Amino acid sequence: MVNLTIDGKQITVSKTATIYEAAKEAGIYIPVLCYAKKLLPYGACRVCLVEVEQMKGRLIPSCTTPVTEGMVVTTMSDEIHKVRKTVLEFLLVNHVVECPICDKAGECDLQDLTYEYEVVTNRFKGEKFDLPTDEVNPLIERNMNRCVLCGKCVRVCDEIVGYGSYSFINRGFETKIATAFDRGLNCEFCGQCISMCPVGALLPRPFKFKARPWQLKEVDTVCGYCGNGCTITLGTKDNEVQTIRFNDKTGVNDGNLCIRGRFGYSYVNSDQKLTKPLVRRDGQLVETSWEEAIQAVADGFKAAGDNVGIVSGARLTNEELFLVKNLSKALGTENLDHSGGECYKGITEGLKATLGIQASTATFPQVENCDAILSIRSDFYETHPVFGMVVNQAIRRNDAKLTVVADKLGKFTKLPNARTLLHKPGLELNIINGICSVLLEEGLAKTDGLVGLDKLKKSLKKYSADAVATATGVAADAIKQAARELAAAENAAILLAYGLPYTAYSKELGIAAANLSLLTGIAGRQGSGLYLCGEKANSQGAIDLGILPGKKGLGVQQMFAAAGKGELKALYVVGEDPLVSYPDYALVDQALEAPFLVVQDLFMTATAEKADVVLPATSFAEKNGTYTNAERRIQQVRQGIKSKGEAKTDFEILQLLLQAFGTAAPATPAEAFAQLAVVTPGYEKVSLDMVGPQGYVWGGEILQPETRKLVSVVAGKALDSKYQLLVGSALYHSGTVSTHAKGPSAVVSEPYIELGREDAAELSLAEGDMLKLRTAGGDIKAKVKVDRRLPKGVFFAPYHFAALELNKIYTGQPVIAVEPVKL
Amino acid sequence: MFKELAKGLSITLKHLLPGNTTTVQYPKERLEIAPRFRGLHRLVPTQDREKCVACYLCPTVCPAKCITVESAENEKGEKYPRVYEIDLLRCIFCGYCVEACPVEAIEMTSAYELANFKREDFAFDKERLLKSQEGAA
Repeated sequence: MVNLTIDGKQITVSKTATIYEAAKEAGIYIPVLCYAKKLLPYGACRVCLVEVEQMKGRLIPSCTTPVTEGMVVTTMSDEIHKVRKTVLEFLLVNHVVECPICDKAGECDLQDLTYEYEVVTNRFKGEKFDLPTDEVNPLIERNMNRCVLCGKCVRVCDEIVGYGSYSFINRGFETKIATAFDRGLNCEFCGQCISMCPVGALLPRPFKFKARPWQLKEVDTVCGYCGNGCTITLGTKDNEVQTIRFNDKTGVNDGNLCIRGRFGYSYVNSDQKLTKPLVRRDGQLVETSWEEAIQAVADGFKAAGDNVGIVSGARLTNEELFLVKNLSKALGTENLDHSGGECYKGITEGLKATLGIQASTATFPQVENCDAILSIRSDFYETHPVFGMVVNQAIRRNDAKLTVVADKLGKFTKLPNARTLLHKPGLELNIINGICSVLLEEGLAKTDGLVGLDKLKKSLKKYSADAVATATGVAADAIKQAARELAAAENAAILLAYGLPYTAYSKELGIAAANLSLLTGIAGRQGSGLYLCGEKANSQGAIDLGILPGKKGLGVQQMFAAAGKGELKALYVVGEDPLVSYPDYALVDQALEAPFLVVQDLFMTATAEKADVVLPATSFAEKNGTYTNAERRIQQVRQGIKSKGEAKTDFEILQLLLQAFGTAAPATPAEAFAQLAVVTPGYEKVSLDMVGPQGYVWGGEILQPETRKLVSVVAGKALDSKYQLLVGSALYHSGTVSTHAKGPSAVVSEPYIELGREDAAELSLAEGDMLKLRTAGGDIKAKVKVDRRLPKGVFFAPYHFAALELNKIYTGQPVIAVEPVKL
Repeated sequence: MFKELAKGLSITLKHLLPGNTTTVQYPKERLEIAPRFRGLHRLVPTQDREKCVACYLCPTVCPAKCITVESAENEKGEKYPRVYEIDLLRCIFCGYCVEACPVEAIEMTSAYELANFKREDFAFDKERLLKSQEGAA
């Protein structure tokens, strides 16, 4: 700690702090343009100049100068005022003053400072910038005439996002921020640069000219897409979500968002949303009243007796899931499940069998301090982009070693210190088994108190590093190195994602990852953790609340099989579109034909079109409740806008249904939370007041495993086919909902099949050509996207788009043998 | 006493003489309007559109909350008011909108004969405001 005096105030701060940070902590205001909390100090704008007693004779930039013992700082004097005013005058020489038409006006740092320092005239004259604006890309409005060259966009894109779209080009007065070769922006469109820009040089295009900042009502809520649980602040006006506002004070994401969070909101305003309940009469879905619709559902379910199946989405709030669970009890059925039934087995069965828990063991911020990170199967920059940014921070700020076990290259591969174990598709398990066997062979494993060690040792004999290397095509040394790093690291993290498009080996991967976390001692150790990250916003909540088949109940796949055979008489599908997103179209399609089908959704989905009753629900922006993210953080979802038409929140609909079955339902989500907390393990002591701005992590920062059992798993086999197709999710989308959002759809609007450049050359395919993939189960066709991330012979297709009909050939297998045909 | 009475009456009588009355025979006669009189608003046109850039300062400053603006982007990529409406029934003619306007797109004319029969007729939309003339409603 260092003691210093700022404006006569005695302050004690950490020795790594800068003068600016010290002043901020003490509540002393120093103006800044180029400083941002999460970026490294830069010192570009010279607005934060202060006087330091010990460095008399010149002014000191407070944002880059570290504090020293006994420093005496003055933050305001006539000279400082004069100099700051001059800096502003210099900035305003070229800056076009078009505040009336600039969307930043009202929250512009330059505007505020100009007002504060009363810069009404300018002693300097110069030409105003007259640079062309970037009108090419759909999401980020770039107007370099308004730029003050603070470099925040350059730095955030590099330091946090790890993409590096921007750089300074030219010299002197000509200096400007530009993309490579000064072309239009073509990046991930996460919009982090927009959130950093202190002026109106970077603005969200979907929000262009929509409203003024001061007209927006801000509502902090949780993003409804992935399991990362980022806080997003809705800017609402006229009962519409107009934009997502910057907020780095609440939540886990430090103001970081991805394209889905920042630009994927427009579906909540969509006029395509269902606004009235529908019932099927004479083969047609017709609009009806809520009373009739609920009556129809009640009659249908009563006729089916206890042969009812409930399939819930993982984007419902905890409170709604609690009612879903109650409804299943009221109906007397144990056929209850969510999202695919297979994809989360890694966590429900895999972790349960080994660690005895069903959740990640640590929290996201801890990853920033890790020394070694192992990412399995998924490139987190694609599935959980903001978690990817956390990993990036660990590498850049903490020099962490990253090992990626993947079948395709991704953004993780490009990070410094990253080692990618690029294996043949479907062989993740072999590699993890290989790493475990290296740990045991080299005596690096921490085996104290582990159950089943001998059995595991025996089963891992087959998976020596060399054997795994031969099978998977990964260098043996790399596997050994990864094992050594994980064992040596003081803080380490193992990351595994689960989701609908990658359900294969789900349970086995969960077990393998848990084995590894036990052998390395990561599970339950302070600062380390095993992270299982769900695909949807409340995947963890659904598991916590037990939206799972009961002892005698059926899981989703069995429910569909039973429904197809006519054994299940009624199906209730809440917030899911299984016909598009679940593996095995034929199974789902047949299952939806016969029974009495009730679909509760926002849009008229493919599944809803087959329904007997369709109940219009509302999006996350229209309801109150809580989500539990992948690190067990319970966070509040708050209503930003009122629902349109007669659509009701899932909570209200479930209340009506429960009442129709004569069961009492909690009156409000808050009441439901109080009730669910009592019966949900881990939530017992949680009350809504405890769920503050940073949420509340149930089980504490570190969740201790209840058991430490090692379970051996048999690894996968490589597919013997020249061309293979991987199924997964793309960065720009999440589930099927995001295809209704304008932002993500503006970047990726249609399905595609991605392949490597070698394959493209061999098959003489160019970007945009139509490609047909022939498989044993049927054909799919889509436009070709050529990239460098896929190894030879491997294709990739995202599962978000109904038009691709991917689940006609994807039935949950790890990889699909295909035969490409150019069209 | 009689003297005082005569004095007073003479003043009264003097005012009764032609040319000495203060009553203006409106509407046949009208007073001259002060140059800074705040009458009906007028949106200032440019060659092909209104001067207004829909910056929302006037609805923000308006104490009576009588101005409705909706901005949009035109074909040239410029910001313009798709909707600009003043509810004259709520307007208090304070002139803050004119003061706040950064581009001098709104001004106040001398028109004060604003009475009308229907409520709807007091809603002045963009077209009507662009046509506001000096002195005429």
